[in-house]
Amino acid sequence: MIENYLQTLMNPVAVSPSRLLAIEDDPVLGAYLHEQLLRCGFEVVWCQNGQEGLARARQEPFDVVLMDILLPGMNGLQVLTQLRQTHALPVILMSALGAEADRISGFQLGADDYLPKPFSMAELRVRIQAILRRVALDRMPRQAPVADGAPGECELFVDEETADVRYGQQWAGLTRSEYRLLDTLQRNPDEVLSKAFLYQQVLQRGYAAHDRSLDMHISQIRRKLKTIGYHTREVRTVWGKGYVLSASDAL
Amino acid sequence: MRCKVPGKHSVFWKLACLLVAFCLLMIWLSWSWGRYMDKRTGYLTELAQSTLVRYAGEAERAWETGQQAGVDQWLQKMGRKEPGWIGVVGQDLQALSSYPLSETESQRMTFLRGLDWPISHVRTARPWIKVPFPKDTSAGYLIIELPQRFMPGHSQLIWRILTNGVIPGLFTLLLCVGLYRLLIVPLNHLREQASAWRADQLGTRLSSQTTSRQDELGDLGRAFDQMSERLQSTVNQQQQLLRDLSHELRTPLSRLRVACDSEQDLEALRERLGREVDGMQRLVEDTLQLAWLDAERGPLPVEDIQIQALWEMLTENAGFESGWPQSRLPCFVEADCWVRGHLNSLAQALENILRNAIRHSPAEGTVSLNGQREGEMWHLWLDDQGGGVAPEELERIFAPFTRLDGSRPGDGGFGLGLSIARNALRLQGGSLWAENVGPGLRVHIRLPASSGQS
Repeated sequence: MIENYLQTLMNPVAVSPSRLLAIEDDPVLGAYLHEQLLRCGFEVVWCQNGQEGLARARQEPFDVVLMDILLPGMNGLQVLTQLRQTHALPVILMSALGAEADRISGFQLGADDYLPKPFSMAELRVRIQAILRRVALDRMPRQAPVADGAPGECELFVDEETADVRYGQQWAGLTRSEYRLLDTLQRNPDEVLSKAFLYQQVLQRGYAAHDRSLDMHISQIRRKLKTIGYHTREVRTVWGKGYVLSASDAL
Repeated sequence: MRCKVPGKHSVFWKLACLLVAFCLLMIWLSWSWGRYMDKRTGYLTELAQSTLVRYAGEAERAWETGQQAGVDQWLQKMGRKEPGWIGVVGQDLQALSSYPLSETESQRMTFLRGLDWPISHVRTARPWIKVPFPKDTSAGYLIIELPQRFMPGHSQLIWRILTNGVIPGLFTLLLCVGLYRLLIVPLNHLREQASAWRADQLGTRLSSQTTSRQDELGDLGRAFDQMSERLQSTVNQQQQLLRDLSHELRTPLSRLRVACDSEQDLEALRERLGREVDGMQRLVEDTLQLAWLDAERGPLPVEDIQIQALWEMLTENAGFESGWPQSRLPCFVEADCWVRGHLNSLAQALENILRNAIRHSPAEGTVSLNGQREGEMWHLWLDDQGGGVAPEELERIFAPFTRLDGSRPGDGGFGLGLSIARNALRLQGGSLWAENVGPGLRVHIRLPASSGQS
């Protein structure tokens, strides 16, 4: 399993593709999902009811489970509850109910993400990749901070002990979440990280359209970096994709 | 546990007064009536007295006319008339007839009763009455065992039943009627009201007779009325929402129908489909959001939010959507403005207000945020340079599905944005209203200030 994850991480065109279990009772949507996910390069098993889905999830190894909430026989939340008693594999709930309460109870039962229907395939793919990537990172031994050259005069000094960053003599005074966010961004310089991944990695929850916590943290990081006079790199918004820490063009 | 003293208008006082007064009335009635009855029935009646006095007169006459023999004769005659013991005695309590008194009879002579003495009706033995001769009271007495028909207390039992049973019973019945009118009649009104609701007549209200009462039952009635008002408005709102929603959905659906029927190339059709689906999705999401905010009663979880950071985040988004540069979206609020709110719904509220302002701004207009602290609250306002709205519409723009046309240009959304914003702010203890200032519309927001941050 771990080799599998490492391979996925190291080599995007992995020899063994990620295995997904899709539990969706609607034949049209299910078939479309199946076909599209196969086309994305995943290995997909499609079940049409909760009971069967639960049995397969317990017996076979999967990387991610995609599950509808309204299912015949046994609903998605019940499947999730039972699955969580023995397995920790990531679960993405999909539902047309869309109610806030439903989303919250899904997360409380241990869902990793919640996707309201209707959603686009691109959106689903981003969510799946965010979870796969987070799982892979979790299983990897923690790397030493990226050696971006010695912290020079114009570089940000990241202090893991105090969970803060310093530029020159000035501390930015980041909160815990802001630090984790900036740390994640600066470990992947110049790479656009999706919001779904940042939610998974930094805030440890799924991303919803109305959730503005991440944007707010980004806004605060920008303000704090500006206050300590750090302009070498900046957190930029890439519309429709996510955020990236890259050299600012103001210089 | 500390007992709370009931309020001045509480039904407790009414009940207490009523019951205490009733108890006292009952006790006084039975006491005074008992005494009165004893008095009324404890003495010899007029008839008995006059009869006995007449007998004494006859005995005197017999004594005067025939001495001992006359008395003997009269006694014999009386013996047939009155079955009890009769005797005529002199001043010395010795018999005036020829029959001397026996031992027991002489003994009884020592406790004779006068005519006007009360007579006990506890003892069943008939008392001996001493009646002096009417002409010469010193000459002698008629002693007579009171005839059974003159014994007082014949009607005693009837009076007892009347005073101790029937009359208290009647009074208690009256009390029950009073209590019923006081307590149960209002409850019956409530029951009727509830039955009316069951029959879907949500418009029915309690009579003012019930709701104008000052006591707990009045409170209950008023609470009932408020509940029915709230129920009715909720149902009306839901029906209105459903009507508006289906109306709004019809528009994109009919556009889709047109697109489906008319011949178009595939690419255009697909693009159109995508646009309409996005629109409908947004509509459904907004409506759900509104319904959720409306149904949510408890306060949302709040956190400290810096308005400047929030504004920067929102204007970055808005600038991307509308192509406005940041310089046209200035923020005049200082960095020390922190409010307590629910981040997601506050952001959404402010974003809706901002989008609205941008949509109604003229070309090259600006939208600015300003604010000042007012005690425990932050008062923020957002100015645009659009045409404002008619004064009578200032409140209506916050109702769902309200779209003002004519004066204000812009494609408009579904008219849900401001409604969502108002509900979201209300849920976190804030408020939202609008006014016209000069050329534009000013939207005011009041939010609780954060206590921790300076």
